[in-house]
Amino acid sequence: MKGSYDIVVRTKRLQIKFTVNRNITILCGDSATGKSTLVGLIGEYVQNGRQSGVEVICEKPCSVLEGVEWKILLQNRKQNIIFIDEGNAFVYSKDFAKAVKGSDNYYVIVTRESLHELPYSVNEIYELKNTTRSKYPPVKRLYSRFYHLYGLNKEIRKPKKVIVEDSNAGYTFFKYWFEKQGIPCISARGRSRIFRMINDMEEEPILVIADGAAFGDQIKDLYELQSSKEVYLLLPESFEWLILSSGLVQEKDIPAILANPSDYIDGKNYFSWEQFFTKLLTDSAK
Amino acid sequence: MLKIYYGDMPEAIYNTAVYFKNNYLDEWMEDPFVQKMIKDVDKSVVVDRNLIESPALGKIPPTLLSGGVKTLILMYFEPENIFNASTCGDNCAKWILRMAKKKDITINLRHIMNFGKGNFEAMILNNNQIVHNMKEMVPVAGLSLRGEFL
Repeated sequence: MKGSYDIVVRTKRLQIKFTVNRNITILCGDSATGKSTLVGLIGEYVQNGRQSGVEVICEKPCSVLEGVEWKILLQNRKQNIIFIDEGNAFVYSKDFAKAVKGSDNYYVIVTRESLHELPYSVNEIYELKNTTRSKYPPVKRLYSRFYHLYGLNKEIRKPKKVIVEDSNAGYTFFKYWFEKQGIPCISARGRSRIFRMINDMEEEPILVIADGAAFGDQIKDLYELQSSKEVYLLLPESFEWLILSSGLVQEKDIPAILANPSDYIDGKNYFSWEQFFTKLLTDSAK
Repeated sequence: MLKIYYGDMPEAIYNTAVYFKNNYLDEWMEDPFVQKMIKDVDKSVVVDRNLIESPALGKIPPTLLSGGVKTLILMYFEPENIFNASTCGDNCAKWILRMAKKKDITINLRHIMNFGKGNFEAMILNNNQIVHNMKEMVPVAGLSLRGEFL
């Protein structure tokens, strides 16, 4: 499944509007913002259709996945946008990651916990916010939207140390670039080691460069670490995406692909967008 | 005192919404502390022990309160149990700290909850360290969640 999909979930009392762009979307944030309500409304619509009093507007079928029989339930779903509420512990399992990999569905998962088995993007982590203009009654309907939870660094000071998630081409490039300016650059050899490395470092500021396309499980912890360390995050989709975006590779389709990757990247073939950009770069460089 | 265990904890009650649905008592809604939590987090008013007025959902039963508030209520009335507090957003953190001033509470966290900018006291059970603010808590929490310790 590929493409971006606008979804509107509506009753007489509330409306939630959002867009999903790739195979895995995470919904988290404060309590009482309507996350479980959203999943509940979609579940009621699936069970009772328009007779539920819920309206779900989307080009693709929306459904809910829950309970111990999730594997059986998932078998027959294709080209669905599947919503999973918190409390479903299977989303942390290797089995679930295996089922998502190669699946022809999109998944919207409500959770505050990091899903280490799934490669999800820092750009697809959202919170729900009420956008109703008037806060005072009589308000007929409350309106909510998805908002990005993690923004960009507004200002970056010159780092004293750089940590690169990658240990291959990306690391070679950044090491050359930063060490030319006298800034030590080290490889973390994997995203899960970055937190410990920052924690153990005495020099600040620290710049972390990682593949944003699959860094979603680390981002919350690094944001919180900014309360005690001066850490800046540079999270392009991937190193290959950076090269493609630089214009170094002249291929006529590349600007269109980079402008709307969702239209080209099928989640069934690419677990994470970084895999697609690696193939695109390799093929273009041939 | 607040005690926190970070990471997977088999003895903790993970799906707090299901536990709440099957175990809450009507009289819990009459408690002034519970009513304050509901008002602050859910912006809702307890009309009587079975009825809550929600700005988004209208008149609802206690089972339709937010997942965060339901977990807070469970922590408050059943401090002998350990609940998955990752069902609570950061807007619940101050209530956990307030409860922990009244009684000993142990919670299970599977993410780094932000307890705000002020000082507090919490014991991290993964390595028995006492922390006093987020600056001290985040490194211990992050490493505990990764199965490492300082």
